[in-house]
Amino acid sequence: MTQEILPPLSASVHVKPAGWRFGLRLWLPLFLLWLLLIPLLILALPLLFVGSLIFRFNLWRSLRAANGVLAATRGSQVEVDKRDTSVFIKLH
Amino acid sequence: MHDNRRQILDMLAQGKINSDEAERLIAALERSDMPVARDTSAVKYLRVLVDANDEQEGPTKVNVRVPMQLLRAGVRLTGVIPDRAREQVNEALRKEGIPFDINKLTPDNLEEMIEQLRDLSVDVDNERAKVRVFCE
Repeated sequence: MTQEILPPLSASVHVKPAGWRFGLRLWLPLFLLWLLLIPLLILALPLLFVGSLIFRFNLWRSLRAANGVLAATRGSQVEVDKRDTSVFIKLH
Repeated sequence: MHDNRRQILDMLAQGKINSDEAERLIAALERSDMPVARDTSAVKYLRVLVDANDEQEGPTKVNVRVPMQLLRAGVRLTGVIPDRAREQVNEALRKEGIPFDINKLTPDNLEEMIEQLRDLSVDVDNERAKVRVFCE
């Protein structure tokens, strides 16, 4: 079983609000968000390390598991269609 | 398989069945022993389809696709829960009448469960909504 290691890199969002003739099609580059968050995570690492010592959890395993959950969301898709409104979100 | 065949031969020897019946039973036994073609592809997604029809809000369709990998990752996440917290979770589940031990939730057990989910299909159908949950 192969396991994804990268979080979703982009998202497709299609929205058609009520009263709009045409919908909005967006492609969101999520990788930019991760690039912004990585420095924050590095800054927070010492705090997380202290927290792991106090609350006795394995920091490395926790980070790997959290990344696993994030990576596993790739391929998720949510589609909601109402009378005059529709929303479609897909994580790539 | 071997025991069943011997049993048929014993019945034939004792005169309980004749040779034609013995032949038919052995043929049936061989057929039942043939490997059955199984779908070995992995279950990839859990799908939830909702088709609701509300009097005020009109028809609504929901289509959700959740990767099974998310379930696997969630189980791995339970591996990092401290022992004391696990006991608290088990205690809370017991109080709610769910005799489930979170310690027994391992990736191996999960694969077995996901394999069983292949045949899962939940259909809820009432006058206001139709809900379908299945794996693909």
